[in-house]
Amino acid sequence: MAATQKADIRTLLGAGADEDRLAVSHFLIGAGFLVGGGLLQALAIFTLRFDDLLPIGYGLLESMANLTLVLGFAVISLLGGVYYVLPRLTGTRLWGADLARLALLGLTGLVLAGDLVLAVGLGSGRQPFGLDWWASVPIALVLFLPAAVTIGTLRNRRETRSFVTLWFVIGGVIWLPMLFLAHLVGELPVVGAVTASVSDLFLSAGVLTMVIITLGTGLVYYTVVKELDVPLASRQLGIVGFWSLGFAGVWWGLAQTVFGPGPDWIAGVAAALGLAFPIGALINAANVSMTLEGHWDEMGDRPGVASGVYGLYFAVAIAVMASFASFPTIGSVTALTTYWEAIEYAILLGAGSLLVAGITFEALPRAAGRRLPTSDRARTFNRLTIVGVGGVLVSLAAAGLVTGYSWLGGSNTAAFQDAGDTWAVGAGAAEVLTLVAVGFAIVTVLGQFAYASVVAGTIFSGKVVAQDLLVADGDDDE
Amino acid sequence: MVTTMSETLSAAAAAMGLPEAIVERSAAARAQETGMSIDEILAAWAGGKTVETPVPSAAEPEAPEPEAPAPEAPEEDTAGTAEETAAPPAPTAIIDVPSTPTLAPASVAVASGKPPTLIGSSDRPMTVVMASIGLFLAVFMIAVVGSSTAQDEPGARTSHVDYSAAGENGRDLYASLGCAGCHTQMVRPIVSDVGLGPVTLSDMNQIPGSRRFGPDLSDVASRMSGAQIGAVVGGFGGHGTTSLSTNELDDLVTYLMETAGVTE
Repeated sequence: MAATQKADIRTLLGAGADEDRLAVSHFLIGAGFLVGGGLLQALAIFTLRFDDLLPIGYGLLESMANLTLVLGFAVISLLGGVYYVLPRLTGTRLWGADLARLALLGLTGLVLAGDLVLAVGLGSGRQPFGLDWWASVPIALVLFLPAAVTIGTLRNRRETRSFVTLWFVIGGVIWLPMLFLAHLVGELPVVGAVTASVSDLFLSAGVLTMVIITLGTGLVYYTVVKELDVPLASRQLGIVGFWSLGFAGVWWGLAQTVFGPGPDWIAGVAAALGLAFPIGALINAANVSMTLEGHWDEMGDRPGVASGVYGLYFAVAIAVMASFASFPTIGSVTALTTYWEAIEYAILLGAGSLLVAGITFEALPRAAGRRLPTSDRARTFNRLTIVGVGGVLVSLAAAGLVTGYSWLGGSNTAAFQDAGDTWAVGAGAAEVLTLVAVGFAIVTVLGQFAYASVVAGTIFSGKVVAQDLLVADGDDDE
Repeated sequence: MVTTMSETLSAAAAAMGLPEAIVERSAAARAQETGMSIDEILAAWAGGKTVETPVPSAAEPEAPEPEAPAPEAPEEDTAGTAEETAAPPAPTAIIDVPSTPTLAPASVAVASGKPPTLIGSSDRPMTVVMASIGLFLAVFMIAVVGSSTAQDEPGARTSHVDYSAAGENGRDLYASLGCAGCHTQMVRPIVSDVGLGPVTLSDMNQIPGSRRFGPDLSDVASRMSGAQIGAVVGGFGGHGTTSLSTNELDDLVTYLMETAGVTE
């Protein structure tokens, strides 16, 4: 049997043209990047508290973690979900499967190369990925390929009616390369340092909200309706939720440097428009909750549905926190502190990874033809992620508030007197809270290992099950 | 009487209550599975019969799974209703359980007999494509292009610094080492930043950063000597160590000194 399974694995990961093989490859590579990026992210938080114990500083570790987790894990995994649902929602084959495969290879290579570039000190220091323009341009170009595949497939569609997931997929894959192009504007010699900084925050917030949350939410709609076989509560709410996320995606990013050297009006605009973020997140969570009416007890048997729903609720909580801190009065306390680090961490590794797990746990058995090894391990991932990311979110956000208020009280002024020497003393209780965050980050990493073991276990040792070879039969009694 | 394939197809579609396109694709897939011709499949369906699938190979012990996941719900509308409307029960699917994973073409996978929950209203996805691009451009124009508008009129003071060659090199080092990940060079006109130095204006050409996990460095050279800054960068006082050469360290210190307008 082992020999047979190895042959199957070769088939699954080989150079076939099938969309489902493509999706499986994306899920597997994404899981690998989650483990690597999760460790980098945990180390980054560790250096916030113990910055003299590692040969590499927080700035570089954070850039490497962002690159690995955002592009390597989240984007690649979500693209796997996109390639899985597109043929099923359009009734046609995936257009340009070779382009999709090229994008996977390109992204994988560019993320690994980018990490290397950062590690040897050839980065630009620009957040969120720290890459210079010559490393960013190839990434932007590769990211246009999934958009081309999506549009090409849509043009050939045989199903003329669109399920709401398609809207989210369209928005996510189109905004992804455009965000990277917009970020490159900051590299132009005529652009000032302030605008470059704004474009950094534009990309940072945009890729988390307009791409990861948007794509993940759309795929949750598919997962819930598909798994439970119930009609969507409201298509209109889904569409409103989609446009709200697109409209609100970047404003909480710009609110992070409130009162900085940028235009004053940006703070007001960011606060007002940023309100659409929690509204969008809440609409989607409510829509899925209404869809689940009468089926809540079935979530326990369906880890994909559970992951997706938890991810949506996580997104609501984070969106409320982000919107809250976007108001200038609150922003004067939270700006520049770990409060925003907590928001970014929770969007990426909390809501983001749960939403990714939603489509992965749903699609993988059908795409790979193998059952999840155990639902327990998937549930373990959900629990550890909620506890770990929730803990990091609360402790780092609290650390940020403590820091911000201590600055208002004058500790910042005291600290700068001996810059670098007594800064830790000036930060006060925030140091303890950061230490707590390190502990919760380790819990998150354990959850990420559980996720990777579910994905790898399904592909390499999952029991063979029925696949999507379904044929309508004329016998109602069958 | 000779029956053409299209007539058989129509009859099968009518018997099953499904669109002809779906029935045709389903028949093609079933024919591939069973080895029968499409006509035979369609004729059987038109007569209300079932076409059995081949039994999995006995040499494959792992094939049947009593708890196989639920079959694919249909993605194609079979009843012409909106998603909120439950369709009448359609024919139950026969689930093929291949002995080894067989990845089905998507065009086959869409056909099954469950209620159409994954369909929506008729619309134009290309309109969504164009609208998404338009929305992005609008947000980009306000957020990024809007922020490049000049805020500070030329006056007595500026935050723009004309760096020396060493200072420029130090600035590149500051960027590539990721210093901006922890240090800002941005003094805001609010109580929190009182005492950090002159307020940073929008014509600045330093690296502002967006996190202040360590002290703000826009005016650090006013309160520390070059030697003290160099010592901290080298790991003194709990700061992380860096592997800079002597020249690189000098350039980095020069950058911070020039940023603060201090000359030694």
